[in-house]
Amino acid sequence: MKTLLYGVIIVGIVPVQSVLLPHLTLWGVKPDLGVVAVCLIGLISGELDGLLVGVAVGWALSLFSAQDVLTGAMLKGGLGFVAGLAGRQMVYLSPLVLVLGLLVVSCLVGLVTPVVLKLSPQQDLWWAVWNVALPQACLDAVIGGAIYWLMWSQFNIEQLMSESRM
Amino acid sequence: MWMVNLRVTSNARRVALVLAVVLILGFLLLPGQLQSVFQGVGGPLGWIISWPLSAVAGVHDRIAGVWGGYVALQGMEEENRQLKRELELLKEQNVQLRESAAATERLATLLEFKKQALPSLIAAQVIGRDTGNWYKTIIVDKGASDGVLPDQGVITPAGVVGRIVKTTASTAVVLLVTDPNNAIAGLIQRTRDEGIVEGTTQGQARLKYIPLLSGARPGDRVVTSGLVEGFPRGLAIGTITRIDKEEEALFQSAELTPEVDPSRIEEVLIIQSSLAPTEKERLSMPRHKP
Repeated sequence: MKTLLYGVIIVGIVPVQSVLLPHLTLWGVKPDLGVVAVCLIGLISGELDGLLVGVAVGWALSLFSAQDVLTGAMLKGGLGFVAGLAGRQMVYLSPLVLVLGLLVVSCLVGLVTPVVLKLSPQQDLWWAVWNVALPQACLDAVIGGAIYWLMWSQFNIEQLMSESRM
Repeated sequence: MWMVNLRVTSNARRVALVLAVVLILGFLLLPGQLQSVFQGVGGPLGWIISWPLSAVAGVHDRIAGVWGGYVALQGMEEENRQLKRELELLKEQNVQLRESAAATERLATLLEFKKQALPSLIAAQVIGRDTGNWYKTIIVDKGASDGVLPDQGVITPAGVVGRIVKTTASTAVVLLVTDPNNAIAGLIQRTRDEGIVEGTTQGQARLKYIPLLSGARPGDRVVTSGLVEGFPRGLAIGTITRIDKEEEALFQSAELTPEVDPSRIEEVLIIQSSLAPTEKERLSMPRHKP
């Protein structure tokens, strides 16, 4: 069941990200559902799931972008792994804390990405922060928070997470 | 309230740690090899993903079509589309005529007239945009199985769209001419001065390395020079809107408005092969001595 769910996420995230999300932009920037999905999976299911799903999601998304495949897979994989480690250290995670966490994490990923991708000199760090990283982090935080809140109201998240951290 | 058991054992943690270390080491020590492995194995994954991608794009296009055709001014939409197509064709004809006139004048004096053959083109439909925010790309529904390869040029009847940077079996990613990471060799049609056209972060383009003595002015058209692979000479890129000349600079540059609005592209043509040699190929050809 879990594998099927991950498969649907990996395959389904590309059409959503490339076809539907360009209509949901903030200052021309769309949210990165990959970051949101990988963070949530890492937090709830642990490092291994976070890492594997992160690598697969990053890989799939990079195949349909000019971004190089390895960087995409490594960034998302690393994010999932770190989210898994962070999830293990937490006893209780409220939607608000998750929103703030996602905001910070997405910002950090947004700062690291242009450096790793070696973009054009026009796309310097200052440009990256104001034009991509911050708007994307805001959108990621809102969407991640909404998904987590939905899960929070439907499932027993605390128990789910504590079981995962055992 | 129902629960899902997503328990992670300590074994899984160890496996995750080992995998993470292996991946990081691979990334640091063998980036090239790992990149080609990911790209190669990504073929089947890309093929699988292209199915839902095409399906979602199809549904999206239908909804957009219904909205455009019935909700938002039924008659006007079709008429407008028809007129835009005609305008694009006329623009292209105009560019070609200007290019032909300039070329005829120049070549006739040199008595080395060469007939430029039309390149072979593949029609493709735009099915998506870049999955990230760092590059300006479009995804088209033709891929490696249709003969599409990286570095091939992509155009519409109005002008240059960009170049192919990545392919899967049934899709290809096109880096737009407005992306700052793209560079195409350009030529000012009137003055014949060459330069490099680069995208800008504002979604426009810029012609760099124009000679200081060039008489380029706003309104001049910029076309491909044929110096780089993928584009034959004479395809419209954009129109100069501003000339930037800095003191003590070796070159001047010009701001361009691209002929093609990347946000409104629905169909494109991929230049599969150019029967006429590019300028680079022509120059590298061995000359027959009498």
